Amino acid sequence: MEILSLDHILTGVRAENWQQAVEAAGQILVDHGSITPQYIENMIQAVYDMGPYMVLMPHFALAHAAPCDAVLRDDMSLVILEEPVVFGSPNDPVKVILCLACIDKESHMNSLTRVAEALMDETVFDALMKASTAEEAYEALNSFSI
Amino acid sequence: MEELTIQAVCGFGCGSSLLLRMKIDKVLKEEGITARTFCGDVATAAATPCDVIFCSEEIADRLIDRAKVPVITVVNFNNPDEVKEKVMGYIQSLEDKQ
Repeated sequence: MEILSLDHILTGVRAENWQQAVEAAGQILVDHGSITPQYIENMIQAVYDMGPYMVLMPHFALAHAAPCDAVLRDDMSLVILEEPVVFGSPNDPVKVILCLACIDKESHMNSLTRVAEALMDETVFDALMKASTAEEAYEALNSFSI
Repeated sequence: MEELTIQAVCGFGCGSSLLLRMKIDKVLKEEGITARTFCGDVATAAATPCDVIFCSEEIADRLIDRAKVPVITVVNFNNPDEVKEKVMGYIQSLEDKQ
């Protein structure tokens, strides 16, 4: 079973700042009909409100907001930036962003756990940092098995 | 001693706290420590019964005044040494008290 599908991954994404990077990650989910644009605003607002705590480890941010009406179904997307952006976190700069949308606090737990296990694997993450195409990123992510 | 309860906290209790909880679970398993771990959100975490809270520094800033239990911060959720040092540091502090 794939961890994340190819059409939910973008590489070489250009963003001038963290807001644009979060927008790019969220836009994938808008395009797939999983969230409305309001959710992108919520994710950005969450960083303004609570600081860049979503930058969980070096080079990586987990962009998300609270479950709400702007989420139409559980989904995740991944962007790899052309040039990293700064969030103001000790784990800056950020190059890889996982965008998480969940309809509630429970239903997405298994799928998020699987993506997280892969992302926190050093070999997988190094390959993602270097991926220049979505196919390469897809292969790296889905090559991981627990 | 009653079973230890550890709350991993993030902004909404459904994203980064899950990743932190996974790492804490891994340390506990490796060290053979039995504890119940669960996720919480910053708005309700301080009022949720538990023995200790783990979270990022940014979240800790918003919790520390309200929390009745120790709040322990983790900078890099994916650094097994850091998570282990902080979990075991807390466990050690409990043993020192006994």
